This record gives sequence, structure tokens and C-alpha cells, in this order.
Amino acid sequence: MHSSNESAASTERHIDPKLLELLVCPLTKSVLRYDAERQELVSSAARLAYPIRDGIPIMLPDEARMIDDSER
Amino acid sequence: MTETKIRQDSGDETHFGFTSVRLGDKQALVDDVFHKVAKRYDVMNDLMSFGLHRAWKDALVSSLRPWKNKPFSLLDVAGGTGDVAFRVMEAAGPRGRATVCDINGDMLRVGRDRTPKALTDQIEFVQGNAEVLPFEDNSFDAYTIAFGIRNVPRIDLALAEAHRVLKRGGRFLCLEFSAVDVPGLDKIYDLFSFKVIPPMGKMVTGDVEPYQYLVESIRKFPLPARFSGMIRDAGFGEVRARPMSGGIVQLHSGWKV
Repeated sequence: MHSSNESAASTERHIDPKLLELLVCPLTKSVLRYDAERQELVSSAARLAYPIRDGIPIMLPDEARMIDDSER
Repeated sequence: MTETKIRQDSGDETHFGFTSVRLGDKQALVDDVFHKVAKRYDVMNDLMSFGLHRAWKDALVSSLRPWKNKPFSLLDVAGGTGDVAFRVMEAAGPRGRATVCDINGDMLRVGRDRTPKALTDQIEFVQGNAEVLPFEDNSFDAYTIAFGIRNVPRIDLALAEAHRVLKRGGRFLCLEFSAVDVPGLDKIYDLFSFKVIPPMGKMVTGDVEPYQYLVESIRKFPLPARFSGMIRDAGFGEVRARPMSGGIVQLHSGWKV
């Protein structure tokens, strides 16, 4: 549809702070840490980092990145 | 049409339309269906229901009656294309907030790209699984799911999660197809479902399987009384089912008391 504008728009997209308050790790229901640089939501309890793509948090364990102790 | 009867909760197997599949495989198959049809989803809804899906969704909104004098928070599950969330936010006014949660990224992108400008600050999109919702307990005033719960492999888990994320006094509303209970109409409905919808789906979206799955999955969904029982088992009170359009669709309602 607006494919030419899409990449420009996605870099401007910021995640809403109110949404961050609402989100928890789907597996452990524990709070998440927002990593703005990597655009990830980090669950220390589950040792998973959930990606945010185009401003949409992808809260699926299958799509999450496993993290090691240094990142927790 | 031969059907193998396997109960949804009988261990390792579930339905994918009339085919029995391993529980773990159903989600991948459903994902594939919606990936194929995402862009033309609403066009097909209009064609298949003669535009009636609009009336059903409007009935959901008027039953919900979102208040305007204080913040109203909605979680719309399996609502990727945003249809229900847009309607509820229009009714709720500027103090409404909606979170659309869908397991399918393609559907969510369609919804986000179509969000009316006036509503962009009120609606958020989250990719998540209805069986393991990524939201805090007691967060929402309403949970809606329109024509989505049929596609969830473990419906009991989804209902338990709906109950968990709702605030006390929160409302659960679910639109879902059902078997038809009007003599005569049932025959026409069967004919339309199995002879018209799959070829029409192929014409509009290029694929026949998604719509074959759709009509089969409707037949496999628990009847209204049994589904009401499942909603009660999840902890909801004042559970009701309201038939619409001759019982083609039911509006299921419950309260977190």
C-alpha cells in the first residue's frame, strides 16, 4: 500500500509508555525491561528478549532471542 | 462427508477443520491460513456474510456499551485487522484505549496500516498468543474476540487468560459462528458453506484451503450451551449466549465477578 513510506515510518515509531506498563512476559508474567537501542523487551525471568518490529512488540516465545547472564 | 469425532480436550489431538491434527501443529496450520488471506480478509467477510458481519460486530459494540466519562480499556484478541477495535473506540470516544492482540503479524500490519488517523493514539497492536497473553492481571475493562476463538487450539486456556487479564467487573464478549437451528435455513446454510464459500474464497484470495478450513472449523466448534459451560468453567458469571441471524452467529457474554 504505502511501501515507499513504510521504512521511514517504522524508524519513527516509538512504543507507547502506557503499553509498556501493560506488557509482561507471556511465560512468567513478570515485568519486562525495555531496551530502546535493540528494540527489545527483555524478560530476565524467562531469559528471553522479545523483538519489537515496526513498533509492534512480538510477544511470542518462539520469536524471542535467548539471552545470557550478562544481559540480564 | 465423514467426520472423525475427537474432543478438543482429549489429549494430544485437535481439529483442523475435519482433519485431526496434533495439537502442536494446529497453530502453524492456522497461521498459514491467515497469512494467505490477510490482505483480502475483510472483502471476503463481506462476500461470505452478505455484509452481515458488520451488523454482528455492531451488536457486539452496542452490547458492550463502553462508557465515555472515564477511561475505558479494551483488549481485542484475534482482532488483527482492527475492525472491532475501531468500532469500540468510536463508541468510547477519546478516553477509550484499545490493545489489539493477534498471533498473526500479517493481520496486525493490515490493521495498523488501516487505523483511522483520529484513532492512532488510542490503539496499540501487539503480536501475542491468546493462550498465553502478555498482559498484567486485572488490566482491562473488556475483552472481545470476534470469530477468533474457534481458531485457538486450547480454548480453555484462552478463556482462563481472558478472565485473568480482565478487571473485576470486566466484560467478556465473544462472537462466533454456530450450527444453524432454523429448519430449512440449515440446508441452505450447509449448501452455501460447502459449495459456495470455498470456490468464492479461491476467486478472491487465490486459495481454496483457507475457506475449506473455515467452513469445516465452524462445524467443529462446540454448540452454544457447551461453550457457555466452558466460559463458566473459566470463572465467569452471568454467562449468556444470544443467537443472531437465525443462529448462524452467537454473541457470548460473561462478567468477571
